[in-house]
Amino acid sequence: MKIVVAIKQVPERDAPLRIAANGRWIEEGDLTYTINEPDAYALEEALQLREKQGAGEVIVVSAGPERVQSTLREALAKGADRAIHIECDDLDSRDTLGVARILAEAIKTESPDLILTGLQSDDLGLGQTGVVLAELLGIPHATIIMQIEPTTGGLKVKRELEDGWFQHVEMPVPALLTIQSGGNKLRYATLMGIKKAKTKELKTVPAAAAAVSPAVSLEHVYLPEKQKKTEMLAGSPQEIAAKIVEKLKFEVRVI
Amino acid sequence: MIAGRLPSTALPHTFPGIALFSSNSDRVFSGSLAEPAAFAPLDSILLAVGILLSAGLFFWRFAPILRTILRSKKDPNYKSSTIGKRVWTFLSEVLCQSKVIRQRPLPGLAHAFVFWGFLAFALVSLNHVALGFGHGFLSTTGVAGRFYFFFAAAWAMLVAISITGLFIRRFFVRPLWLGEKLSYESGVIALLIFLLMVSYLAAFLVQDGGTAARLLWWTHTLTLLIFLPLIPHTKHLHLVLSPVTVFLKKPGFAQIPPLTGDEDFGLVAGKDLTQLTSLQTYSCVECGRCTEHCPAATTGKILNPKEIILGLRTYLNKFGPHSDVPLLTESRIASPDNPPAKYLSMEAAFECTTCGSCEFQCPVGIQHVPVLVGLRRGATNTGAWEDDYGTKLFLALEKNGNALGLSALERDKFIQKQAFPIFDGTQEYCLWLGCMGSYDPKGREIIADFARVMQHLGTSFGVLKKEKCTGDPARRLGNDLVFQNLAETGLKSFEAAKVKKIVTICPHCVRTIATDWREFGIAPEIEHHSEFMARHRDRLPRQNCESIVYHDPCYLGRYRDVYEEPRSVVKQAGTLVEAPRSHERSFCCGAGGGLAFLGEEKGERVSHVRARELAGTGAEVVGTACPFCNTMFRDALPAVSEHPPQLLDIAQLTARALSASQPEANPPPEPGGAQ
Repeated sequence: MKIVVAIKQVPERDAPLRIAANGRWIEEGDLTYTINEPDAYALEEALQLREKQGAGEVIVVSAGPERVQSTLREALAKGADRAIHIECDDLDSRDTLGVARILAEAIKTESPDLILTGLQSDDLGLGQTGVVLAELLGIPHATIIMQIEPTTGGLKVKRELEDGWFQHVEMPVPALLTIQSGGNKLRYATLMGIKKAKTKELKTVPAAAAAVSPAVSLEHVYLPEKQKKTEMLAGSPQEIAAKIVEKLKFEVRVI
Repeated sequence: MIAGRLPSTALPHTFPGIALFSSNSDRVFSGSLAEPAAFAPLDSILLAVGILLSAGLFFWRFAPILRTILRSKKDPNYKSSTIGKRVWTFLSEVLCQSKVIRQRPLPGLAHAFVFWGFLAFALVSLNHVALGFGHGFLSTTGVAGRFYFFFAAAWAMLVAISITGLFIRRFFVRPLWLGEKLSYESGVIALLIFLLMVSYLAAFLVQDGGTAARLLWWTHTLTLLIFLPLIPHTKHLHLVLSPVTVFLKKPGFAQIPPLTGDEDFGLVAGKDLTQLTSLQTYSCVECGRCTEHCPAATTGKILNPKEIILGLRTYLNKFGPHSDVPLLTESRIASPDNPPAKYLSMEAAFECTTCGSCEFQCPVGIQHVPVLVGLRRGATNTGAWEDDYGTKLFLALEKNGNALGLSALERDKFIQKQAFPIFDGTQEYCLWLGCMGSYDPKGREIIADFARVMQHLGTSFGVLKKEKCTGDPARRLGNDLVFQNLAETGLKSFEAAKVKKIVTICPHCVRTIATDWREFGIAPEIEHHSEFMARHRDRLPRQNCESIVYHDPCYLGRYRDVYEEPRSVVKQAGTLVEAPRSHERSFCCGAGGGLAFLGEEKGERVSHVRARELAGTGAEVVGTACPFCNTMFRDALPAVSEHPPQLLDIAQLTARALSASQPEANPPPEPGGAQ
């Protein structure tokens, strides 16, 4: 089975975030980057599928500036067979469709049996890229996948629904699945993996499609603001209750 | 032609070279060694054939071993320098038998007598054989000769008594550590040694030149000739190898060698075993000191350091030194194809706390810790080791940079709350918090108390803005990738902050920064807080109310040779009580080697055994000097004792005395002033 894993590089969790001067994104200068967590699980799933079947190929793909190569190398060290770096310095000016387009262009030529990606990214959390990518490639998809079981000619997957419910779906291949975190146990990177990764192919390709004016754009990014608007309501319980209802109705407008 | 020797009285000056020893005086019946009258040419020929046979058999058996050792991997990091130190070690450990005697005084001394007896006997044996060719060089009547024969006789008696004692110990007392299986070859060897001594001593009681003397001479000779070929395939090979092993052993304690080249991942297969390791496996005398003191082996784990070494020997004998067959097996079911499986299993290798007591005890120069960590490196660096806890730890170290897997923001908050100054190059010390000091509640208490002590002393210090783990658990669990990344990050952060001196509460951090990081650069000078406080103890308050039992952390004691400093700090705070096992023989708390992060162990808990020992002293306080020991005992003491003693780090003992002394005395401000 030929599996492509689409990976995003995101700022590390503990990284101190500062808003960029234009207010539309964060300052990227001295941030440290890492693999998007759900993508790490997508990679793990791909590696385990290959190991279980005893054959196949795992190709990791990532779009972004040169720095994403470090994340791709890590993926190679964990066991991916080769990597494709889609060179793209204007990732933040593209919307989901824009990103999915360049991914689709790079993946199309590989004609994989299965495409895995994280269900959403740790930085933007849009949860759209995988789905749009499937649409562009004209293949079926399923989201929030916990387990994949290959069947003859297709897959059986377990989707996470809400409230502790799961859905089991059978689907044909080629297909695209977006993977939920925590379905597997991640492996640790090894010295041998890193050394082997050096000899593995990391191909750089230019972003096929030029950025077009995005349909969705990010207008304003800000840190959560601390608000000190505490108002103490006084009076008898009845009076307080009445005041609360009034505020909820006319100030907050939720009832 | 070889002439048989004639009695010296008959031909006094046959050998001018040894005329000094000759004497014309009449033989006294007893009181001097009887020698056979004359050797017929047939005797000499028989002797020559015997020697050739014996030596031939010896080399026939010894050559494959020597070949295995020599064909093992050459160690690119081996340095033969430090000759002075090597000679000293040789004198102490081989000639003086220091390690043999120290850990087991009575049998040790018996062994030493046999060894010294052998040395004293070397000349006698040489003369004995030379006599068979008519070239005896010690005269039985000359002053020097007589003196030497008597000297050797005294040793012969000691050897005979000692070997009898050792025989009784092995076959009747049967200490657990010698193994379940009785070694009958040891019995044969003991018998041969006894026979050698008796046949020598008896020659004082028979008539010179008589048939009895001749009989004794041949008994002695045959015993020697049988003894020699028995050496290579029994543990008595240590007679030949261990002096070499002790001389050649690598300097430093529990040193983990750097990996070299792109193909070196640690001890994966036989081809990774170096010549020195190979030599060490063949030197093992199976005394079991390593196992007797092993925290894993003595609490019912599979790990048995002696069997690890013997397992490697079995492996080398079976697969050879160039083999690609993995050293560690997944399964621990031994099969005829894989006899050492039980002991060379993944499970066993990862039960080691790297406390180092095996290596410390070993009288024949075997260095167990590099082997055990090497086996783990082979498993972890190649991804063969699959363990949920281990993986979680490595991922936490990769992602969060600390072993506890907490957000670095937690450390920031703690620093802010304690109002620790950030190191900016103006302060004298960089106070290294470590994972425990940064994130563990008890570790934080210790750090805060030590900071108070430093403030009381007026020592300026600052903490690093960001700190990642030193990589100690990754290092000991064989993850060189994580370790290297952390070591390099750490070295950079010290360099960037222009740190000159570091002090910390964790012996693991001290060891890793001072020794293990050296592969990647030189870290600033680092010391443990016990060393710091001991140096300033004159300016620290005294309190003398409680009895305190001090627990030696492995990484401070055996690894750093620091025993007295923490004790002097303890003595400031109360009455020092010694645990049954202390100093170099201290028993591990069970946390080392990354095991603190691998979940609850099988069988009896190491920490409980030690906690019981500490509580059993009746001391009111258990004093620790390592946050990992502290965390282990925090759980173990209440589990083993109904009224557990209080558990305090030495920094907490000092800080408490500080609090007690200040309100009443209001001491004059120290230079620099308490802040």
